[in-house]
Amino acid sequence: MNASLPYLIYALFAVGGAGIYLALPRSGRSTAVPGSILGLAAVGMFVAVVAKYALPSEGAGFSYLFSAMALIGAGRVVTHPKAVYCVLYFVLVIISVSMLLVLQGAEFLAIALIVVYAGAILVTYAFVLMLSQQSASVPGDVRSREPFLAVLAGFFTMACIAGQVGDLPLAAAPSSEQVIRLAQHGEADQAVMPEMMVDGNTAAMGAALMTKYVVTLETTGVLLLVALVGAMAVAKKRVPIEESPDPEKPLGQVGREAAPF
Amino acid sequence: MLDLLKNQLLFSGLLIAVLMGAINLGVAYCTFYERKISAWIQNREGPNRVGFFGLFWGFHFWGYGQPMADGLKFLLKEEMIPDKADKPLYVMAPAISFIVSTIGIAVIPWGGYLDIDADGIVDVACQVANPDIGLLYVLGVGSLGVYGVVLGAWASNNKYSLFGGIRAAAQMLSYEIPLGLAILVVVLSCGEVRLENIVRAQIEGGGTWNVFVHPLAFFLLFVTQLAETNRAPFDMAESEQELVGGFHTEYGALKFALFFLSEYTHMIINSAFLCVLFLGGWHFPWIPGLGLEDTAWWAVLAKMAMLGTKIAGCVFVYMWIRWTLPRFRFDQLMRLAWKGLIPTGLGLVALAVVMTYFGIPGSESVWPKLIWGLGGNAAVLFMVVLVVGMSPAGVTGRQANMPPISLLSPAKRVPRADQGTAN
Repeated sequence: MNASLPYLIYALFAVGGAGIYLALPRSGRSTAVPGSILGLAAVGMFVAVVAKYALPSEGAGFSYLFSAMALIGAGRVVTHPKAVYCVLYFVLVIISVSMLLVLQGAEFLAIALIVVYAGAILVTYAFVLMLSQQSASVPGDVRSREPFLAVLAGFFTMACIAGQVGDLPLAAAPSSEQVIRLAQHGEADQAVMPEMMVDGNTAAMGAALMTKYVVTLETTGVLLLVALVGAMAVAKKRVPIEESPDPEKPLGQVGREAAPF
Repeated sequence: MLDLLKNQLLFSGLLIAVLMGAINLGVAYCTFYERKISAWIQNREGPNRVGFFGLFWGFHFWGYGQPMADGLKFLLKEEMIPDKADKPLYVMAPAISFIVSTIGIAVIPWGGYLDIDADGIVDVACQVANPDIGLLYVLGVGSLGVYGVVLGAWASNNKYSLFGGIRAAAQMLSYEIPLGLAILVVVLSCGEVRLENIVRAQIEGGGTWNVFVHPLAFFLLFVTQLAETNRAPFDMAESEQELVGGFHTEYGALKFALFFLSEYTHMIINSAFLCVLFLGGWHFPWIPGLGLEDTAWWAVLAKMAMLGTKIAGCVFVYMWIRWTLPRFRFDQLMRLAWKGLIPTGLGLVALAVVMTYFGIPGSESVWPKLIWGLGGNAAVLFMVVLVVGMSPAGVTGRQANMPPISLLSPAKRVPRADQGTAN
C-alpha cells in the first residue's frame, strides 16, 4: 500500500473544494467558469487515482460513470443559482447512487432510495419551491452565505472519511454475483429459470430484517409514528367561526354592502 | 438465427422493439376509442369520417384513420415556447413524462417462459428484464411520474399551470400510500416480489387469482392508479373548467402530444400491472395452452394475446369511468385518500398478515382462501363503512367560515345550526 496515497487524496479534495468555492453563486463578478474547470479536473484526477489503485472488477466502467455523475451532480446541487435545478440535480445524484448500489448487488436499497428520496421527499421540495419561486429568484436567494466555512467543513468531513482509505485493503469489492451467492436462500427456481434471471437477494434481506434486526425495525417504526402524531399536533389549527360584525344583518350581507375600496 | 434468439439479451432487445411499437400503436388507438366510447356513452356517433388519405377508393373505414391524422397534425403544427418560460425545463418536462411512463414495460411478464427449439428446455423469458425487485421497480418508476407534470407546470410560468402542478404533486404524494398498501397485500399473499412468480403463485394455488381472494385490495389499487394517471374522477391537475388545461395549458404541438401519449401509456402500463398482480397475468382457466408448462412459441403468443385482452378490458373501464363519474372536489379527494383508502388498506394488510400466519395462501384447496379472503374483506368493509357512517361530515378550513346557503338571502332567515340561537 502506498503510504502517500492519503495525502494525494487530501490534495485532490483541496482542489475540488477550491473549485466548489469558486463556483458557488456570489454577488459581483462570477467565477463559476474557473471553478467548474477546477472541480471537473479534481473529479477526473480522483477517478484516475481510483482506477490506478483499485483492482479490476466486474462492472468497473459503469461504476466510474455513475460515480462521476453523482459527484458532478452533487457539485451542481450546491452551485446552481436556480433552486428548482438544484432539486433536479439532487434527483440525478439519487439516481446515480442507486445505480451504484445496483452494481454492488443491493437492489432493494437502490429502489428504496429512489422511492423514498426521489419519489417523495424531493417532490415535496419541488412543491415548496414552486409555491415560493414562480418568477426569477431574488438576489438574496442566489448568493451563498459563508461559502468558505461551508467548503472547509465539507473538506474536513471528506478528509476524515478518506483518511481511512490507507488502512483499507484496496481490493476489488465483491462482485454482485458473489454477494448474491452469499445471500441466496434456496436454489429451487434455478432449474426452471434461465441463467440470467436467477440473481437477487431481496428475500434474504427481508428475512434478516424481520429476525435479526426486528427490534431496530420496530423501534424505527414507533419513532416515525411519534413523529407523525407530533406533526399532526403542530399542524392542526382550528379556524374560528367568524361572527357577523353587525348582528342585525345576516352573515355575508355586510361584505356585500361594503365599498370595494 | 434461432440460436441467436436464445440469448436473453438479444431476445429482450427484440421484445423492446416489438413492445414499443405495439404500445405506441395501442396508445394512438386508445385516443380514438376514448372518443368513440365517450360518443357511445353520450349517445353520439363520434369520429367516423377520416380514412387512410383517400386510399382504398375513398372508403373511410369507420373513422379508423383518425389517430394517423391526429398524429400528423401534431407533427406539422408550429412549435412554440412562451417567452417567459424556463426553456430547458419547458422542453424537458414532456420528455421526462413520456420516458418515465414508458420504462415500466421492462418488468411486466408478457408471456411466461419460451422454449424456442422445442427441446423441452426453457431458453428465454418473454420479459425484458426479470429483476428480483420487479414489483418495487414499478413502484419506484411510478413515483417518479410526477416530475414531468410538476416541472412542466412550473416551467410554463403560468398561474393556471402552476395550480395544476401543485394539485398533481399533492395528489400523487397522498395516493402513493394506499397504492403501496394494496401492493403489500399481494406480496404477503404470494410471498414474492418477482412479477413472474406472482403470476405463477396465482396459477399454482388452484387458479385463484388474487382478485377473488382480495377484491377490496384490487379496488384500492385500481382507484389509486386512476389517481396516479390523473384520470377522471381524479383529473384535478388539468380540470378544464377551472384551470383552462391545467399543467399543459402552455403546451402545444408535439410537446403537448408527448404529455397526451404519456398519459395513455401510463394507463396501459398500469392496467398491465393490475392484471399481473390481481387478474392472473397471462393465465385464463379452461383454455388449454395457457398453462405454466406450455412454452412453445404459439403458446407464448396466445399468452400475450390473453394479457393484451385483459389490458384492453381494464383500459375500457378507465374510459367508462371517465365519462360516467364527475370530478372530485379537492378536499373530497384528500379525505378519500387519508380517511377512506389508507385505513382500508391498513385493515387489508392486517387481514393478509393473519391469513399468512395461519398458512392460508399456501393451502392446496381453493376454499380456505376464498372463505378467509372474502369473509375478511367483508369484515374490513363493514368496519370502514361503520366508522365512516358514524363520523360527522367533514368540514374543512374555509367551509367552517361559510354560513349555510339560506342565510345569504334575508327573506329566508333561519338560525345557524352550529350556534343554536334563534333570533
